[in-house]
Order: sequence, then structure tokens, then C-alpha cells
Amino acid sequence: MDEKFDCIIVGGGVAGLAAAMTLARKNLKFLLIEKGEFAGAKNVSGGVLWGEDLAKLVPDYWEEEDGGWERFINHRRLTFLDEGSSFSVDFKSQHFNETPYTGVVVLRSKFDRWLAGKVEEAIAESDYAMDSFVAPNILVEEILMEGDKAVGIRAGEEKFYADSVILAEGVNNLLTRQVGLQDSYVPADHMLTGVKEVIRFDQKVLEDRFQLNGLSGMSNEFVGYATRGIEGGGFLYTNRDTLSIGLVLGLKDLREKGSPDKKLTPYDILNDFKNHPAIADTIRGGEVVEYSAHIVSSGDKRVIPEKLYKAGLLVCGEAANLLMNAGKAIQGMDYAIRSGILAAENIVQAKEKNDFSEARMKAYQDELEKSYIMKDINNFQDAVHMLHDPLMYQKVPNLINHFGRQFFSISNRPTRKAREMMRESVKEHASWWELVKLGIKGARSL
Amino acid sequence: MKNLTLNEQLGLVSYRNQAKSEIKPHIRVDTEICNSVCPHKCTTYVCPANCYTMDDEGMVHFQVEDCIECGTCMYACDQGAVSWEFPDPEIGRGVNWNFG
Repeated sequence: MDEKFDCIIVGGGVAGLAAAMTLARKNLKFLLIEKGEFAGAKNVSGGVLWGEDLAKLVPDYWEEEDGGWERFINHRRLTFLDEGSSFSVDFKSQHFNETPYTGVVVLRSKFDRWLAGKVEEAIAESDYAMDSFVAPNILVEEILMEGDKAVGIRAGEEKFYADSVILAEGVNNLLTRQVGLQDSYVPADHMLTGVKEVIRFDQKVLEDRFQLNGLSGMSNEFVGYATRGIEGGGFLYTNRDTLSIGLVLGLKDLREKGSPDKKLTPYDILNDFKNHPAIADTIRGGEVVEYSAHIVSSGDKRVIPEKLYKAGLLVCGEAANLLMNAGKAIQGMDYAIRSGILAAENIVQAKEKNDFSEARMKAYQDELEKSYIMKDINNFQDAVHMLHDPLMYQKVPNLINHFGRQFFSISNRPTRKAREMMRESVKEHASWWELVKLGIKGARSL
Repeated sequence: MKNLTLNEQLGLVSYRNQAKSEIKPHIRVDTEICNSVCPHKCTTYVCPANCYTMDDEGMVHFQVEDCIECGTCMYACDQGAVSWEFPDPEIGRGVNWNFG
């Protein structure tokens, strides 16, 4: 191929597809390259795409009978576990039934493929119907540079040239490292290993068990015994006729505390989580249809590359480690969509002025800083740190469940006041001082 | 619900080029490093697909066939023994998720 593209996008996940959709609509000529057999073939997520941005890519996506998404979330639950009990905060609201939904559960192999189909449709309607491509099954081995400017990519013997390159290669960002925007070795400190199973049920059983109505769905996050003392947490999301259930485990902590003898490995801990009485009762009778794993970043700013651009090159999505869990939700795919859109919009403006200089590319990072993504990441750093404190993933869940057991036990003896029960639970599992500190930190960070 | 063993879990995974006997690995491991200076040999218990195993003598071995490309070893190994480099998809291995 001799012709030059306006942009080459590396990676057909949500970030790359969001960028592609934006470029197609703005009539730019681009090439999206994906190394998997199809967009989504290599992608794993927990699974909730939060927020309303999906509607920016696929307006009225909820009208589609069998869109690429599984269920919309109208029921949320946060569960604290100790060894034998669970204490949940549960919120369900019909306000969440309104479109655009505020969260949809997705299975990436299906979702990304569907979204790529939408991008193909947008290409067909653009001025470059025959000249823009979504090309799977190709590996980008190298970013071609002329001096400090990215000018294209190399895949095997083939070279493709473009005014700009968008890296949307995901968290294992080898090309971002190759161009020097990320260190060649990224330590385990702010990384978590996610493991997950997809468990299939008869759809009616699933809907009855989780009180689902039509395409409504539930998201449930877990803290405490889920991870057997390893930093992290668990999740359970309802799909159409399957559940996504899994854990994210702090990798540094897993390296320090893990052991094959104590059965502290990702798959053993996942099995323990599934055997917890509160979980076992919800997944009974299901059939595991897939086991998967993937690294995610923690949302700690220290792992986000300082610079997300070079002349002619932008980095977005998890390749830029844009992901955060500040306790309310694990957000990553929505950051991928927004950063992909922002990157593409920057390329559109650069194309208008024919200026792909580093100064022009920096405007992308400025926009990112102004967007909710970096505002949230900056504002909630304390919450991210707090969640990774053993107090939060061990002592607090134990304390809450200790209290729950006392408070909800009815015996034919005089009942103590809740305050006394709380005092005893605190004494058993933590100290008042720790809780006061936590309360102050919590009030500040949330 | 009965627990699955890791082998059963991995049996559910669709891999690329499953029928090919010759594949080009996307991870190279210098097990000399694992078996001489590494103080933790953590890949043998952090890898979700147990691609890194330890034999009775405590020596680390690596096989790429079961790898599900999660990336864990890329970060977990702080000794410089693990390097990732994807080959052409046609001659590589790696996953094809059905659900993802």
C-alpha cells in the first residue's frame, strides 16, 4: 500500500474503536490494526462500561434488539465479606432504567466485535469508504520514526505511513515502551492481576435468581475475605445468560504473600471466593464456560506515563494506564472511550492545520487533563490509596461482619444497644484510632 | 458448584494455532536468572495459567502453550528474566477469547 493515511490506530479495543469511529465520522482516512483474529479476540475486562459515552459512539444503542452489550445496570451492591458472612449495601433504582443507561455489562469478545462492525458502517458512509480499514490479524512490530516524529508503522516486511499514530494497544503497552513514553520495565506496584470465570445458566434461572427484568442487570463488588488477605477485591456482573465473576489481586502483594503450598494463587483464591457461602448460593447450578485473566492498572497516578504524546503520536486507553477504582466502580472502558475520542479529535484538528508537531499533540493531554478522566484520577488518589490499605480490605470487612452477626442475631435474652455491639466489634478487629483516621481519610477522599 | 482444576479451566480456553506443533513463543524466559539469583521465583505462583512451574529440585521451568496473554509475568518478574515480544499472529500462539 503506497498511499499515506491520516492516522494509523494500533489496537481494536474500545479506545482504538472509539478513536476510529470519531475519525470515520470526521472523514479522515485511517487504518486500524488489531493483532487478534477480530476486534475483541484478545480483550478481557471485568465487565461494566460505566457512564453515557457509549451513546456518543453508537447513538440509541439500546434500541438494538441484540446489540453487543449484555445488560444495563439498575441494581448495585457492595458486599463486605468475612470468612462466613456477608454484609451488603444494596441500591436499586428505576431511575437507572432510563436511557442513556449509566452502565452496561459487556463481554469484550462480543462487544468489541460489535463495535468494530459499527465502525465499519461509519467507514462505509465516509468519504474514504474504500480507503479506510479495520484490519485484524496483523501485528504492529515497530513504530516508524523520522527524527522525533512518528511517521507510520511496520508490520512484518510491510510499512504503512501516516501523518499520525494513535496507540491504543492496551495495558501491556510494548509499543508505548518502544517509543520511550513508558519505562521498558513497569514494576508490579500499581498493577493488579484480574482473574475471571464466565458461568452459564438457564436464562430464566439467572433472571429469577438476580431479580432481573428484561435486560436489567446487577453489579456487585466485594471486599474482604474474597481475596484471602491479598490486596484487591471481587466482582460479579450479570450478563444475558451468564455471570462474570472474578477477582482483582494486587500483584505486588500477591508476589509477597502468594504461595503454591498455601494455595495462594490466582486460581485457588478464585475457587475459594466461589466457595464462600454467600457466593456459592448465587452461582449454584451454573456451568463455567470460560476462564480468563488480565492485568489492570490500579488508578495510582504514579503508573500513568507522564507524557502521552510525541510528534505525530498519541497514547490512549489502558495503554496510557487510564483506569481507576476509587471504591464506587472500576472505571476503565469509559476512560478508554473518552480518551480515544479526545485523541481522534486532536488528530482531526491537527489535520486541518496540517500540524502534527509535538506542541499540537500536547493539546490532547491538555484536553485529557480538563476531562472528567484526569479530574477524577487527580481528585480520588487518596481514595485509591485507601482502598489498597489492609485496614480497608481486611479489618473493616471483618469488623462490619462481626457487627452484623451481633446486630442481626435475635436471642431470647436482653438485647444490647447497637452502640455497645459496635464497640465490641471495633475492639475485636481494629482500634478506634484506626477508624477515626480512616473516617477522616474517607471524608477527605470521597 | 464443583471447583474446576486449573487444567479444566484452561481446557475451556480457545488458543490460536492449537493444532500446530511448531509455534513461535511470545515470551522468552531466561530461567538461568530464575534458578540462580531470583529470591522469590514468584512466577510459579502468580501466573494465572501456571505456565511457570517449579520441579522437585526447586528449578523453574516455563512453557508458553497455556499462556493466556494476561501480562502478569511482565510486571511480576523484577529480575529481568521475562521478555515479551509478539511474533506474527499466524505462527504465534495466544488466546482467542469466546467471551472475554
